[in-house]
Amino acid sequence: MASSLRGSSAAAALLRRRPNICASCRTTQSLRPYSVAAEAQATAEAHHLKPTQSEPHVPFTVPRTAEYRLRSSIILSRAPLLTRPLTPFEDAFFFYQKRLNERLTTEFRHSMFFKKDTAADLDWRIKFAERGGLVAKELGRYYAKGRNAWNDELLVGSTLSDTNRIRETLLKDAESRVTEDGEKAKPDEIVPAEKPQPRITESDQKNDVRKLDRKLDQTLYLAVKKASGEWQFPTDDMSTEENLHQAAQRILDAAAGPNMNTWIVGRVPVAHHVVQPVFKEDTSLATKGEKTFFLKGRIMAGQADLKENTLGYRDFKWLTKDELKELFPEPYFKSVRNMMADR
Amino acid sequence: MATRLPTALPRRPTTSTLSTFNTLAPQTTSSNIIPTLQQTQTRNARLIKRPKRPYAFTQVIQLSDGSTFTMRTASPHSLVKSTKDTRNHVMWNPSEKSLKNIEVDEAGKLAAFRERYGRGWDAQAPKPELGAEGAEDAEAMASKKGGDKKDAKAVETSFEDKFNSTYDPLGDLISQYAVGAPDDKGAKVAKPKKK
Repeated sequence: MASSLRGSSAAAALLRRRPNICASCRTTQSLRPYSVAAEAQATAEAHHLKPTQSEPHVPFTVPRTAEYRLRSSIILSRAPLLTRPLTPFEDAFFFYQKRLNERLTTEFRHSMFFKKDTAADLDWRIKFAERGGLVAKELGRYYAKGRNAWNDELLVGSTLSDTNRIRETLLKDAESRVTEDGEKAKPDEIVPAEKPQPRITESDQKNDVRKLDRKLDQTLYLAVKKASGEWQFPTDDMSTEENLHQAAQRILDAAAGPNMNTWIVGRVPVAHHVVQPVFKEDTSLATKGEKTFFLKGRIMAGQADLKENTLGYRDFKWLTKDELKELFPEPYFKSVRNMMADR
Repeated sequence: MATRLPTALPRRPTTSTLSTFNTLAPQTTSSNIIPTLQQTQTRNARLIKRPKRPYAFTQVIQLSDGSTFTMRTASPHSLVKSTKDTRNHVMWNPSEKSLKNIEVDEAGKLAAFRERYGRGWDAQAPKPELGAEGAEDAEAMASKKGGDKKDAKAVETSFEDKFNSTYDPLGDLISQYAVGAPDDKGAKVAKPKKK
């Protein structure tokens, strides 16, 4: 009896010790603090308390808006221009599906597509004979109706399913093998088909981070360098007379010049970043905190130009998400990483 | 009886194999009945005909800006070059000036036509909307020039003359005709007026 009474009084004392804490804090925080000092410090850190404060504010007391500066920022991005390259597994999978399809579809009847004794018909016959009587152009020597039709899988290390090889085979097939007179062309008369541009551009090879034709299969973001040497997205303080998106547009014009065709995607911020204020011992402000709201923008054409920028930026770069991770301070990147696509 | 696959054999041990009952008789699940019927399940594989599909080739499509992609198609041509698509159409490239319908007059035929017949046949340019901004601009221009109210008024009237007056596209042609007309005709017209 006595022991149970002792236990209940101990529990009551524990509960009594923090009367001003809100309900959610009381339930989430542990009921068994080993050290009062450590607990107080933990609370102070969790609630960003001033030095003399021991308990967090009850929500409806003094607002702390005066301790923060409100800032707007624009995350200007260039959408990827190319689809991503396929993985070797995807290549192999699609190749297998094509061979499987060879077995299941109806046969190709060339008389339905080529009129007899025309140049196109002769062209088809020449190429068909060169492929060894195979209709498919890029599937290797696979006879879908033959005795070895079951043997449709590629062996490890085979390059038959490679995307570049397939494209080259198709482009080779596209060149005309018939002369204008309707005769078979000699090897020196064949005009090769124009090859498409490579996926890797000149800017990629030089790693020119100020060019927009770099990393064509990934999103690029505009990062600018402050006078202090720190990199960030174009940011500025907001006046009381403008909205977030208006401020974002103003910041973009002020930072990167008017020589861009841009589009601010929405009026809702896509990310936010908070820098906590620093207080002196007497609870007066040493430095104000910052609350930055990021808006999303797209660049369609043009290029950034920092020559006449009024925000004091020294340099700019167009970078991918991975490159930004190395450039930005970690807490800053953590705040904005979730709005950036993986690619 | 034909030879059966193991899967087609009856699973339940049957007491009599001599009975010649109809196998399509309704099966009973009740265990009270002595299993006299020869219950055989038929699980023959049936041939399901696949729908007929045309033969599919792989084709490279090259868009007008040179970008390519491959797709599956019934066409036996392995390369198709597009001449007009989203990459060189005005709707998808609103900022591209070269795609806009700008008058090309390399041979000077349009200039020759205008010299002979005037500009009366030109398509009418759309009127720019002169709202509050336009008025402000006009005032700003006036204040820059001299700051007089008269100037501002003059600018306003000039804007009105340009855009608000109903512009007759054939007026130019008619006036030119009247200018070029011989004098005697004009005199003949003028005479009855005097009388």
